[in-house]
Amino acid sequence: MVNVEKFIDQAIRRIRDAAGEEKVVMALSGGVDSSVCAELASRAIGDRLIPIYVDTGLMRKGETERIRSLFDGKNLHIVDAGDEFFAALKGVADPEAKRKAIGEKFVRIFEREAKRKGATMLLQGTIYPDRIESEGGIKSHHNVGGMPLDIKFKGVIEPLADLYKDEVREVAGGLGLPVEIQHRMPFPGPGLAVRVLGEVTREKIAIVREANAIVEECLVEEFHPWQCFAALIGLGTGVKGDVRLLGWIVAVRAVQSRDGMTADPLLLPHETLSRMAARITAAIPGVSRVVYDVTPKPPATIEYE
Amino acid sequence: MLPLYVVNNHGQFNHLILRTLRDMDIEAVMISNETPPAEVARGCRGIILGGGPTLDRAGFAPLYLDLGLPVLGICLGLHIMATARGGAVRRGASGGFGAVEVDVLKQNSLLQGYPDRIHVWASHADEVSTVPEGFVRLAESAICSVEAMASPDERLYGVQWHPEVSHTVNGRLLFENFDRLCSE
Repeated sequence: MVNVEKFIDQAIRRIRDAAGEEKVVMALSGGVDSSVCAELASRAIGDRLIPIYVDTGLMRKGETERIRSLFDGKNLHIVDAGDEFFAALKGVADPEAKRKAIGEKFVRIFEREAKRKGATMLLQGTIYPDRIESEGGIKSHHNVGGMPLDIKFKGVIEPLADLYKDEVREVAGGLGLPVEIQHRMPFPGPGLAVRVLGEVTREKIAIVREANAIVEECLVEEFHPWQCFAALIGLGTGVKGDVRLLGWIVAVRAVQSRDGMTADPLLLPHETLSRMAARITAAIPGVSRVVYDVTPKPPATIEYE
Repeated sequence: MLPLYVVNNHGQFNHLILRTLRDMDIEAVMISNETPPAEVARGCRGIILGGGPTLDRAGFAPLYLDLGLPVLGICLGLHIMATARGGAVRRGASGGFGAVEVDVLKQNSLLQGYPDRIHVWASHADEVSTVPEGFVRLAESAICSVEAMASPDERLYGVQWHPEVSHTVNGRLLFENFDRLCSE
């Protein structure tokens, strides 16, 4: 386990050295990684840090409002970029192409906002598993590898690049961040886009957002999973109110893990599964079927794409 | 005391080996498998060959077996050891993904302290089909007959599973045993 005090001191010094006199923008998602980054950088360079929250239109239910209230008064800049992301994702079905398209769009928005703010450096909450998965060609993460080459920042600072998620949580505790942030479930950079197999549309995102909210409500407090979510994996036949429906199949995934590198599905009680399936199919008209994923990692990854 | 070297064979768990050793206060450094063998011989007291996707990207790793240093091969690291010493590797009839029950065949210093049956996690499609001369089989499972092997005289050890992942029960013990073998 990382030595928290030592890590914090070193990270602050490194950020200060790397930033020099430049203004630094950072992607604040409100997750534990970026929140820790923001706190470290704000201690290192004060108001030369400009945290930017990009609302990609691919965020979870209520996420933007929560971030707004949590980081209110801390120099936070919110960009409403949903239209841009949906336009960039139109007609893109390949999982890697989707991740790349989102990564590209993300960096472009940053360049644009950074210029407006006069910032020349980028700070990112990349953690170690993101890096190994990208380097190993297993999955590209939007904040690593997928970075377009003509990036116009002078430099990229990644203070958490050698840490695992559980270590980042330790650091969050050491920094005194709110418990809610410290124990926040991981949420992928490309957001709900990787929880919809194939092409991303507003309709599909709206459905999967609602399903995710229900899954979190049903599972987080009672079972404390490392991660739980819903994904749209395809269409299947159903019958709702005596009417045949070619509706969405929602896959629910809930796993236990120490570091995200290996993971085991939760053995949920049948009762819980039934209640969750009933809530999802009742609340979302387009859903015909709910399945529970029982595959560990490996061979499956935690997210679907 | 010199560190252990962890050889990065491009596997996604390689850094977890480093992390496990770090958590155990054993000094370790990750190196590229393109590091010249002479440099490896000078810099460490033992070598761990990490896993990876393919033998084609093993670099100089096979040469590290000839340095007179103790070597622990994990997953692809085991396959590197088997093929470099005249054994063979083939696509397994059944891959090992996730939980596997491993039976210890022979008490030995690498697996010292483990019960007869170990609960481990694996991630492999290939397996050792011919154990090289001078090596003995240490463990097997229902899906793979060479879960572990060793050439104790040369202090070469290989395991098919991943002791570095958190889902393997008591994976640390294996590193503790190997560390002791490297200090002898």
